[in-house]
Amino acid sequence: MKDSLVLLGRVPAHPDSRCWFLAWNPAGTLLASCGGDRRIRIWGTEGDSWICKSVISEGHQRTVRKVAWSPCGNYLASASFDATTCIWKKNQDDFECVTTLEGHENEVKSVAWAPSGNLLATCSRDKSVWVWEVDEEDEYECVSVLNSHTQDVKHVVWHPSQELLASASYDDTVKLYREEEDDWVCCATLEGHESTVWSLAFDPSGQRLASCSDDRTVRIWRQYPPGNEQGVACSGSDPNWKCVCTLSGFHSRTIYDIAWCQLTGALATACGDDAIRVFEEDPNSDPQQPTFSLTAHLHQAHSQDVNCVAWNPKEPGLLASCSDDGEVAFWKYQRPEGL
Amino acid sequence: MAGSQDMFDAIVMADERFHGEGYREGYEEGSSLGVMEGRQHGSLQGARIGSEIGCYQGFAFAWKCLLHSCTAEKDSRKMKVLESLIGMIQKFPYDDPTYDKLHEDLDKIRGKFKQFCSLLNVQPDFKISAEGSGLSF
Repeated sequence: MKDSLVLLGRVPAHPDSRCWFLAWNPAGTLLASCGGDRRIRIWGTEGDSWICKSVISEGHQRTVRKVAWSPCGNYLASASFDATTCIWKKNQDDFECVTTLEGHENEVKSVAWAPSGNLLATCSRDKSVWVWEVDEEDEYECVSVLNSHTQDVKHVVWHPSQELLASASYDDTVKLYREEEDDWVCCATLEGHESTVWSLAFDPSGQRLASCSDDRTVRIWRQYPPGNEQGVACSGSDPNWKCVCTLSGFHSRTIYDIAWCQLTGALATACGDDAIRVFEEDPNSDPQQPTFSLTAHLHQAHSQDVNCVAWNPKEPGLLASCSDDGEVAFWKYQRPEGL
Repeated sequence: MAGSQDMFDAIVMADERFHGEGYREGYEEGSSLGVMEGRQHGSLQGARIGSEIGCYQGFAFAWKCLLHSCTAEKDSRKMKVLESLIGMIQKFPYDDPTYDKLHEDLDKIRGKFKQFCSLLNVQPDFKISAEGSGLSF
């Protein structure tokens, strides 16, 4: 387990500040980072090292909390504590702001693009989740304002293939939303965590959702559609979601982020105890009661809280992480022998 | 013999009897004070909700007049959302405070109103207080 996660390099991405989030572009060639210094930086490789290819310094008046690339890779969305979300269009190494989405009453905590590229979701401390639609002329329109959560919404993420949206909140729940007759509705509420849910990640098939929380556990939820073989009851035509696995006792502090590798199925976590952990599903585990084993545990991955972990979408085992210490680190993960 | 038992009972049970009477009197008075306080509280809460929805309704009807000539394709979402908002406001059960989905429906109205403002590119600033609502742009 000692050598399963090896450091490839570190960069001082947001000096004298926190680095809050990372996003790889769909091609896996660029990494966007954002931070408390209100800047967004784009990193690329030059030989063996990572260099800063672009900086977006104008655009936000406060911390940039999350960034997300569009599925086509030509646009970058940034969510900020200044209550706005900016959409940047990439032109070689330059980024131009094409529009600023306003409407949230206070800090925007997350932004995510749907796999179709036509929809965008944002969420905020104002407890709401907004769904936006974008047309061919880069015009954005608000399609729905969802007030289902009772507290600060921390994260939104789209299903990898369906138009299904998930959100995580300070109210200890995860909610799922889908479109119904021109409007969006909350179709499921996942309860179980005992404290704030900080982040979410779907597995490559989209059948399972992983959530991580301030309660120091990771929960795996599975979707059971109506008429499922296992006899799980559903109300109406909406699938039911059940918690099929809880990973507890592995993290000593709040788990701030979770990432499910779309290539290998490995699950990485970012923790407030400065460590990065990787889990893999046991090969013969029962799909209805899966078991996961800890395959990597790197203490002191950073000198402060790890805020984000992100798997490269094209290169298996390449993981990026960032921290309150302002640094971004790159890691090579190799599944340990004999597992 | 029975007579002297009653006499002792009257003395010995006096404490408990007065306690009981006092409790009943207090309970009745407390109940009626509680009903008054509840009524005041309900009245205040009700006024707030009514005032808020009233603002949205006025806003919606005003815009319905202003946009009445909008038939362009690109305005179709705006008009649909407006009609949906008006519909939700009209369907709201103003005379049933025990309606179990009251807060859920109120949240939906708020969400629809915010969406409408976003489509209009208008940011109204509401001040909703017990004394009445103000609307500033």
